[in-house]
Amino acid sequence: MKQFYRVMKPWLLILLRRRQRFLVGALLVWVTLLAGLALLGLSGWFIAACALAGILLAAGLPSNLDIYVPGGGIRFFALLRTVARYAERLYNHNTVLTLLADLRYRVFGNLTRLDEATLKRRRASEWLSRLTSDIDTLDNLYLRLLIPPFVGLLSILVVSGFIALWLPVLGGLIAAVLSMLWLVVTLGFAWFGFSNSYQQVDDQEELRRLVLDQVQASAELMSYQTNHWYRTRVNRHEAQALSNQRRLAYKSSIGNALVLAVTGVLLVSVLWLGSFAVAAGQVAGPIVVMAVIAVLGINEIFTTLPAAFLKTGASYGAAQRLNTLADTSSETPSLTFPNAYRGHPVTFNHVSFRYPETAHSVLSDIAFTLPAGERAVMTGISGSGKSTLASLIMGRISPSQGKVYVANCTPSHVTEESRADHFALLTQHVDLFDGSLAANLRIANTEASDQQLMEVLSQVALDDWVMQQPKQLNTQVGEKGQQLSGGQARRVALARVLLRDPAVVLLDEPFAGVDALTAMHIAKSLDHWLVGRTVIYFVHQVEEPALLPNVNYHWRLAEGKLNTDTFDNVGNNPS
Amino acid sequence: MATSKTHQVMPLTSRSWLKSLARLEQKKLTLSAIWGVLAGGHTVLLVVGLAWVIDQLVIHGRSPISLTVFFFGLMAVVLLRSIFQAMQEASSAEASLRIRQHAREVLLNKVATLGPVWLTRQQSGAIATQAVEHIEALDGYFARFYPQMRIVVALPLLILCIVGWLDYLVAIFLLLSAPLIPLFMALVGMGAERLNRDQFMAVSRLSAHFVDRVRGMTTLQLFGHTKSAQKEVWHATDEYRRLSMRTLRLAFLSSAVLEFFSSVAIAVVAMYVGFGLLGYIDYGPSPSLTLFSGLAVLLLAPEFFQPLRTLSQHYHDRAAALGAAESVVAILNEPDLVPSASSMPHVDNAVIELHRADVGYEGRATVLAAVDATIHSGDVVAITGESGSGKSSLLALMAGFMKPKSGECRYRHGGQVAWLDQTPCIIQGSLADNLRLAAPETGQASMIRALQRAGLGELLSQLPNGLESVVGERGVGLSGGQAQRLTLARVYLSEAKLVLLDEPTASLDAFTEKAVIQALLDWAKEGRTLIIATHHPAVVAVANRHFTCEAGQLIEAAS
Repeated sequence: MKQFYRVMKPWLLILLRRRQRFLVGALLVWVTLLAGLALLGLSGWFIAACALAGILLAAGLPSNLDIYVPGGGIRFFALLRTVARYAERLYNHNTVLTLLADLRYRVFGNLTRLDEATLKRRRASEWLSRLTSDIDTLDNLYLRLLIPPFVGLLSILVVSGFIALWLPVLGGLIAAVLSMLWLVVTLGFAWFGFSNSYQQVDDQEELRRLVLDQVQASAELMSYQTNHWYRTRVNRHEAQALSNQRRLAYKSSIGNALVLAVTGVLLVSVLWLGSFAVAAGQVAGPIVVMAVIAVLGINEIFTTLPAAFLKTGASYGAAQRLNTLADTSSETPSLTFPNAYRGHPVTFNHVSFRYPETAHSVLSDIAFTLPAGERAVMTGISGSGKSTLASLIMGRISPSQGKVYVANCTPSHVTEESRADHFALLTQHVDLFDGSLAANLRIANTEASDQQLMEVLSQVALDDWVMQQPKQLNTQVGEKGQQLSGGQARRVALARVLLRDPAVVLLDEPFAGVDALTAMHIAKSLDHWLVGRTVIYFVHQVEEPALLPNVNYHWRLAEGKLNTDTFDNVGNNPS
Repeated sequence: MATSKTHQVMPLTSRSWLKSLARLEQKKLTLSAIWGVLAGGHTVLLVVGLAWVIDQLVIHGRSPISLTVFFFGLMAVVLLRSIFQAMQEASSAEASLRIRQHAREVLLNKVATLGPVWLTRQQSGAIATQAVEHIEALDGYFARFYPQMRIVVALPLLILCIVGWLDYLVAIFLLLSAPLIPLFMALVGMGAERLNRDQFMAVSRLSAHFVDRVRGMTTLQLFGHTKSAQKEVWHATDEYRRLSMRTLRLAFLSSAVLEFFSSVAIAVVAMYVGFGLLGYIDYGPSPSLTLFSGLAVLLLAPEFFQPLRTLSQHYHDRAAALGAAESVVAILNEPDLVPSASSMPHVDNAVIELHRADVGYEGRATVLAAVDATIHSGDVVAITGESGSGKSSLLALMAGFMKPKSGECRYRHGGQVAWLDQTPCIIQGSLADNLRLAAPETGQASMIRALQRAGLGELLSQLPNGLESVVGERGVGLSGGQAQRLTLARVYLSEAKLVLLDEPTASLDAFTEKAVIQALLDWAKEGRTLIIATHHPAVVAVANRHFTCEAGQLIEAAS
């Protein structure tokens, strides 16, 4: 219970920060419900009163029944119920969407503090869809688990209190029985279905992984003729998952049956006890009719509760997963880099790196020094550890062994702002965001003028293309930059780097996907811009030395080790 | 396969597919509707009984004790009603479970018959979503909406009959609103469908924006842009909220209309009955109204609308199921790529015989035309050619992953074929599970031997759990070289006489590349037949036959 509260607390706090919206939303639901009860209850009272008055009238006796006030009341409640229902749905959906913004803001904030190693493990689209559906689950808490029980409790109080005005004992009985029922279908059912609904999410994840593997291993499964064996595995898991779901469905039907049985028995009991009060002359018949009808209508507040609370385990699981994203943040770095006039020196002191839970080191015992303002080329096949090395220089990950120094600081101890100012990295995988070309460029420099943007675009030979587009700088790049070709996207990313003024520049395959002529143009403008900065080019292999001018250091990464290249395959710059 | 044949005859639609799925569990679903009507019927019995008892107590002044039997009767009705309600839910939940199990089975079978060639052109994540989330999305339709569709026809009719017997004017009033019901349905339907569509679009656009920013988190961090991106996330979500509220304002009207009619019905009946009882109305059945009949029709009026209101609550289940079915049916309607049967080669020691076979995907240009080739047992065949020249398609054809567009491809597999391509496939699970992919029945000792032969002996000794160590995303990460060696171990473990390799050394470091070439030599010595698509001169040198794909033709070089 304590554990549950601890896990859910940060999310409940976000939901409850909109306290006022919650109260108004609950109030509207409550008014809708009571209007419905009042409409039927008042109608029942009215009919019973009319029947009694009718008997008097038929016997020629006078009757002082006022038919206009109840008649007006009935019309009023009929209208109120409709209007309140409409307002309630609109208002609460508005709240849910507002909360969605709050929740995403919070989760996104947690994500921005994750380091490279954690992000890398999580970039898969599988994980992204899990993340969004977890946020939605928590968003749904509001309409499923917060408003209905709160309104239910309020309604129990009002209905039993109202009946207690005439029949205190009956009111007390109704309050006691319904409060017990309320406890059972909320807390009781949360406990009853907790492990099942928690399990259900895990089961689905597992099934997803199994299907994913069936798809990815389809060539192996078909050629080795092991499809049947694999499908038996899938079926075995699915059968388990379904029997868990079956248990959950049975529990839900038990919950609904319980609500019907308890409210039904209460209803008959109220009539039975009320009938003694009528017989003893303690209360008028129409009042008992009203009480009976109010109890008849009250089961509406309970009908959604059992099924919603059975799923508490799933919400708990979602909160748990999202909490793991917040837990990784360690102490906040406080250093800043000194100002640089000729770039920063970069030193690796016997550095090894191994991602957690892997059976091999990506880098082992790397040692080099690159003086300030010098340029180096590092070659290696994909997977040889080039991007890990870049992340180490930038302090986005910390070495497992050894030390990294940039300008005599340990980069991972430097604040994110200072690192962003002093480093620039062109990654192999280019991230463009759904938005305009200008917006994507201004991520690098929010104050850049259109003229500056065109300048850097001309440096990467994209200015002509941009001028041909009907919307020019406002051209949409599409989700993941899909509206651009791979080569164009990489050049936009390079232009983005050129908008900054870093001391250390790391360029991963700057000429990939670009034709020779354009590559030469880009290399020239790069050469100019790179003066006075420390530079490392990361490339598969040096195909055209002229693209990489003024390089004095040549290294090769293979199987996690650093080798100094001989110069004969580079040619340009024998020193 | 019988099911796939019917697909080819008539393309499925999402509606027809849902219908055919419902037919599988017709009995349970019908039973569920019957339980539902019985539960509803008991609600009717309960309110009519209440009205009668109240009438006896208030008007006729009977003592409560003399009515004890009736109170017990009402208790029994209450209990029966909750039992029927539980039966309805349990029965339809069971039907939905079985239907989903079946639907998933059909989908996964279909994925298997579409084969690896088709799958390489798909996003595997999308298929996993279809097999899991989309199949699960059928639940609401079968567990709630479908039985409710039956109940909504039967129950109001039953109530109408009883109301007619009590007071035909009220029945006529309800009946007059009956032609409005299809109108309501359409209104609710359109509203709900539109609501669903708009909501769905808004939500998916929203998620896309969020996912877009999360995906590019590295870039945002690199440029120190995370704080403003976080604010942007909030504003984007809030902007979509404003937009979707505009459509919701209209969409919620349809449910408000239903609510309005149900409220008005209660009010009208209450007024009519009240005035009738006072003797103000003296036409039709009004003079004979009693508290019993008046109260009963009052309480029955909302029950008349209740099934419809329940249906409208479940309407989004239908929309969700139709949406999900659409994407699943799109896969089911794909033509099978994997050949269902093949004939034996005519030549005695031939393993594969291609006779005037056109290689290519259905509906696209032929990549290799009229290929004639015979691969003999024990051959080591190298296939070279530019990328996109059809090497991989030819290999897929030889592996039996796809049919030739025309002509014939005859196999003598009988048993397994070993397959290796440039991206090693590691499934989630233990090392042993990964090896079982090639030989499910194999023992520990032979697994260890295969791993050692593939050069993974050292790794195995380092892992605390040995063969049971979990590898892949969730477990121990393997380097590219280690993963490729694991796939080599699979080939060592299998008895496959024919080994097909698609550029096995393309993305390997020099060290692993040597190990792969050594393995090729080993297999050739074991008398296995090797077919290798490659660029690598060392591999071509090992081969005793050499084919080249060029300009849509397969040409054998003289050796």
